[in-house]
Amino acid sequence: MTTIRRFCCNDLLRFAPVNFDHLTETFNMSFYMTYLARWPDYFHVAEAPGSKIMGYIMGKVEGQGESWHGHVTAVTVATEYRRQQLAKKLMNLLEDISDKIDKAYFVDLFVRASNTPAIKMYEKLGYVIYRRVLRYYSGEEDGLDMRKALSRDVEKKSIIPLKRPVTPDELEYD
Amino acid sequence: MASKFGLAGGIPERRVRPIWDAIDSRQFKTALKHCATVLTKFPNSPYALALKALVLERMGKSEEALAICLNSKELLYKNDALLMDDLTLSTLQIVFQRLDHLDLATSCYEHACGKFPNNMELMMGLFNCYVREYSFVKQQQTSIKMYKLAGEERFLLWAVCSIQLQDPFIIDALVWVAQNLWSGNPRYYLLMVVAAQQSNLVAAALHNVLVSHLEYPCLLFSTCMERLFCLIVFCGNGGEKLLLLAEGLIKKHVASHSLHEPEALIVYLSILEQQAKYSDALEILSGKLGSLLMIDVDKLRIQGRLLARSGDYTTGANIYQKILEQCPDDWECFLHYIGCLLEDDSSWSNEANSDPIHPPKFVECKVSHLADELFDSRISTASAFMQKLQEDTNNDFIRCPHLAMVEIERRKHLRGKGSDDDIVEGLMQYFSKFGHLGCFSADVEMFLQVLTPHKKSEFMQKLMETCNSFTEVPTKALGQSITIFKLQELVGKVHNLSVVELERSAMQMVESFCKALPLSRDLDPQESMHGEELLSLACNLLVQLFWRTRHFGYFVEVIMLLEFGLMIRRYVWQYKILLVHLYSHLGATSLAFEWYKSLDVKNILMETAANHILPQMLVSPLWADLNNLLRDYLRFMDDHFRESADLTFLAYRHRNYSKVIEFVQFKERLQRSNQYLLAKVEAPILQLKQNADNLEEEEVVSSALQEAYFSVWSITTRYIFFQGILESMSCGIHFVELSNEIGSKTLTFNEDLNTRPWWTPTSEKNYLLGPFEGISYCPQEKLRKEREESVRRVVEKRSLLPRMIYLSIQSGSASLKENVEYNGSVSVPKISSELKFFLERYANVLGSSFSDAIEVIMGVYNGSKSSEAFGSDEINWINFAVFLNAWNLISHELSQSDGQQCGRGVWHVVDTLLNKYILEKTKSMESITHSPRSITALVQLITEPLAWHGLVIQSCVRSSIPSGKKKKKGGSADHSTSLLLDAVRNSTEALCSVVEEVAKWLKEQIGRVEDENIESILSSIRKEGQDEGPGKVFQVIERVTSSINEAEFGDRISQGLKSWNAVDVARKIVNGDSSALSEFLQICELKLKSFKALKQQLAQV
Repeated sequence: MTTIRRFCCNDLLRFAPVNFDHLTETFNMSFYMTYLARWPDYFHVAEAPGSKIMGYIMGKVEGQGESWHGHVTAVTVATEYRRQQLAKKLMNLLEDISDKIDKAYFVDLFVRASNTPAIKMYEKLGYVIYRRVLRYYSGEEDGLDMRKALSRDVEKKSIIPLKRPVTPDELEYD
Repeated sequence: MASKFGLAGGIPERRVRPIWDAIDSRQFKTALKHCATVLTKFPNSPYALALKALVLERMGKSEEALAICLNSKELLYKNDALLMDDLTLSTLQIVFQRLDHLDLATSCYEHACGKFPNNMELMMGLFNCYVREYSFVKQQQTSIKMYKLAGEERFLLWAVCSIQLQDPFIIDALVWVAQNLWSGNPRYYLLMVVAAQQSNLVAAALHNVLVSHLEYPCLLFSTCMERLFCLIVFCGNGGEKLLLLAEGLIKKHVASHSLHEPEALIVYLSILEQQAKYSDALEILSGKLGSLLMIDVDKLRIQGRLLARSGDYTTGANIYQKILEQCPDDWECFLHYIGCLLEDDSSWSNEANSDPIHPPKFVECKVSHLADELFDSRISTASAFMQKLQEDTNNDFIRCPHLAMVEIERRKHLRGKGSDDDIVEGLMQYFSKFGHLGCFSADVEMFLQVLTPHKKSEFMQKLMETCNSFTEVPTKALGQSITIFKLQELVGKVHNLSVVELERSAMQMVESFCKALPLSRDLDPQESMHGEELLSLACNLLVQLFWRTRHFGYFVEVIMLLEFGLMIRRYVWQYKILLVHLYSHLGATSLAFEWYKSLDVKNILMETAANHILPQMLVSPLWADLNNLLRDYLRFMDDHFRESADLTFLAYRHRNYSKVIEFVQFKERLQRSNQYLLAKVEAPILQLKQNADNLEEEEVVSSALQEAYFSVWSITTRYIFFQGILESMSCGIHFVELSNEIGSKTLTFNEDLNTRPWWTPTSEKNYLLGPFEGISYCPQEKLRKEREESVRRVVEKRSLLPRMIYLSIQSGSASLKENVEYNGSVSVPKISSELKFFLERYANVLGSSFSDAIEVIMGVYNGSKSSEAFGSDEINWINFAVFLNAWNLISHELSQSDGQQCGRGVWHVVDTLLNKYILEKTKSMESITHSPRSITALVQLITEPLAWHGLVIQSCVRSSIPSGKKKKKGGSADHSTSLLLDAVRNSTEALCSVVEEVAKWLKEQIGRVEDENIESILSSIRKEGQDEGPGKVFQVIERVTSSINEAEFGDRISQGLKSWNAVDVARKIVNGDSSALSEFLQICELKLKSFKALKQQLAQV
């Protein structure tokens, strides 16, 4: 039972049960507020009856030319609302906005190479591993850059996997 | 502008670049050198000076930086030939902002804009200045100018946002005045200006009224307030006029240029909606502009709301039906849909009143006023539509159309149609489909409230009977059984169970948990395991058992259980929170803090989740950890307040206007946070506590700050350590201001209370401290009001402390002044009268008058009143006695009245009270291995009243002894001085011996044999051969861990089970206890050292 709407500041005061999850990062305020101020359409929250927060997604749109793309910065679901395909719903929403409103070529995301359940889920949603980013997470763990092509990338050029891994300073965007 | 010609602020860019590079790489010394080079060439360049100021500020040289900035500003103003470029101005702005002088930055930009009236870049900078200052009216004026110049849509919308922002502040001010009109408290009137300054519109008018109050004190305060009220009401209407103005501006722009941004349209619509011009808004939405909203559903949502609010329910229902066809799982939309069908506007009219952070759990609705037949037909329309949705969306995850059927039954029930049985039937059907989901109980909670207790039990009975027939899939069956346990808790069945039944139920839960472990064998360690909730549920029961029976074993058992769960998977935050509270209650705060830290509570989570630990830490001896906790939290909040305006401007620049308004309101909400205000008061008090043994004598020149506040008092003897800290907090003056303001502040409560365990729904409540009583539901609204009152009292009281401590020290040192060479001009009467004023206030906060408070103190002292006379406020009462004694040292009022000299009598009162309460507490203390116990009261007694009293003694001693360069005057002290010194000696002796007692007890506790303690804890749960009593659940754990079937559980879980060892947990408890006691012992030992040194000094006088 999901009402999906734009994320707003007050939701920051209500997302504790979601963010207590050890894999969900609680960023500083300017991080959240920059996303809200610049890409409010990419920051959505799902609510259950009684206005409980089920989960949320935050992202942005960036890049130039054929690398103009949507980016998923975080997607997370509270424990009691897992195994209901909510993350899929939220991802689809962001893909839709990237595709239809911003006419982006693809959507990408980074995931810890060790986070097998998440990687499997993204694969199910149609994402492929585009490249490996060496020691992306705090200089320790590798990250995987996963991508899904959108309708504008007719030939699906954006998702042809790179042959070699890259280092974080080779990344085009932060 | 200048930079276009390769010049930066009039200086060739190649010369400036090295400075910026050095700043960027934090090479400030190098940067300063480059600045000096540039300044030799361009000595009068405001830009070069601004850069130098920037570097100095980064180096921490604020005063120098400010002086140079002011110099730069002056040059900028003076020299007409110089260019006013944004680069110089924005550099100055950065420095001024960091120096907390936003006003100076603004005046630079104002000046520049005055000189170059049509320069958009400068105006943008000026607008940004006003955003930083939250001057909405000036924002409005500036953006209108920009709009007129450039004709751009965004500037128009900036103006409109600025207009919208003015509204809430006017209303806030109105509420505030209205409150004070009735209480008529003159103490608050200056605050009014603060509130009103937010709305510059009314500030001038308010100022006039206030000045008239000051000039004509005969004018009644209430008369003034009435005038203010009228003024603001007038301005409130002004708010409406402003909205009209905003609407007019947009309309005109639309006619000539149309609109191009979706956010602009949303603002336009909201302006119309705020004025209840629904049909106008609808017309615009369905016209050409409507196409700006590219997501169809978004548009439909706005349309639906506007229709409903305009009373066109039929069309509204159609719109919501359309949304549901696209988003069949949207519960909120369904509520709007049925609201429209039944012509019930509750879901729209309540939007404005409800607290966005704590929305009501239950759907509010009215009994339908529709005629019977119409009601029936609307209900069947809804039913049929939901039925259809169910069929169309044959999906295991779409719950809304199913739960909607239960809601429809509830609406019928409300109307007197349908029956409880229908609701139960609806719930049963919902269970058969979704009963295995973790969120089932949360989904149906609101419906259970409708049922009578009898029907609830019937429903539970039915569920249990049919449960097993629903599914064969093991994970689903497990999910369903968890749901049933959760529902039992929800319907309050748990409170009616007997001890044996509770025990049995807890065992069942833990057994199911263990049995379900193999289901999770192939899960990734990051994933939550099946049945994790079972341990939390069992924990609730065991705590209930402890509450009822007071058997310590249950308490130990629940700790064991959760530690066991975390051994299997260490990420379960629900267990960690429970442990934080259990260890806190046990008295092992250091262990509680360890688990709290493992939750990684940071940034905004500190605002919502610090309540799990902060209150306990405030009264614990773990000062280093508390210090970090407070520092991190205050830093986070203050950083946000500092950067919030810049982020607001970012929203302006990116044309996300709705976010502009949201950001401003959010910052304001956090500024009024009760936790923030408390932390702001407690942080300096902690500093004072930590340094109370360090009243080091040293002559220092009084600081500029001190002079500003106390030019009339200049006492020659100054104390660096403690005094320095006090001075850094303006000798407590700022906190007194906070104390004055707090009564008129509407506090916000942002804590997430839903994550707290049932036995402590707020930090002020802990059911386990009281006798067993069946608790059920605690209404949030009532809680909020109670809490607001209590927080206000606490802040009011606590924020007086620094000032009273300061005055007490002054008093102590002035009391013996005639003994030392002294040529200062201390105004003893002033200290005396101020301290008395605060004593009166302190007494008032304690609910007493000054004279009554003295009577209470004396009564407890001489035994005519029992120690209960202080209630739960004993620390504050004894604080009062301490300050009373300090005041009496210079006022001598009490001594005169009771015929005693030099206040020796009051010294004795304080000594006796401290002695009595501290020894009472020490004697009643038990070992943590037998029951939960709290050393917090003892810690507070030692670290507050006793410490403050120690400071008074220290200040007396210091002024009675010749300091470094000074020689004591010849001749012996007179009689009264020697009497006073006797009192000081006795008091020091008394404090010494009482702290020694505490230290002795602490050493005994710490020195107990570890193995005996461990054994004692374990024996509470290892009572074999008993039918009833703690230990049953523990046995389940022991059984599972003693025979691990690795093939069944898989490696990871087997590993966790193998590492489980109850002795380790018991040892952890014992060590955790010792570590807190050791911290406390250290505090006591430092005090002892300081008192002993005093005794030696006194022996020489």
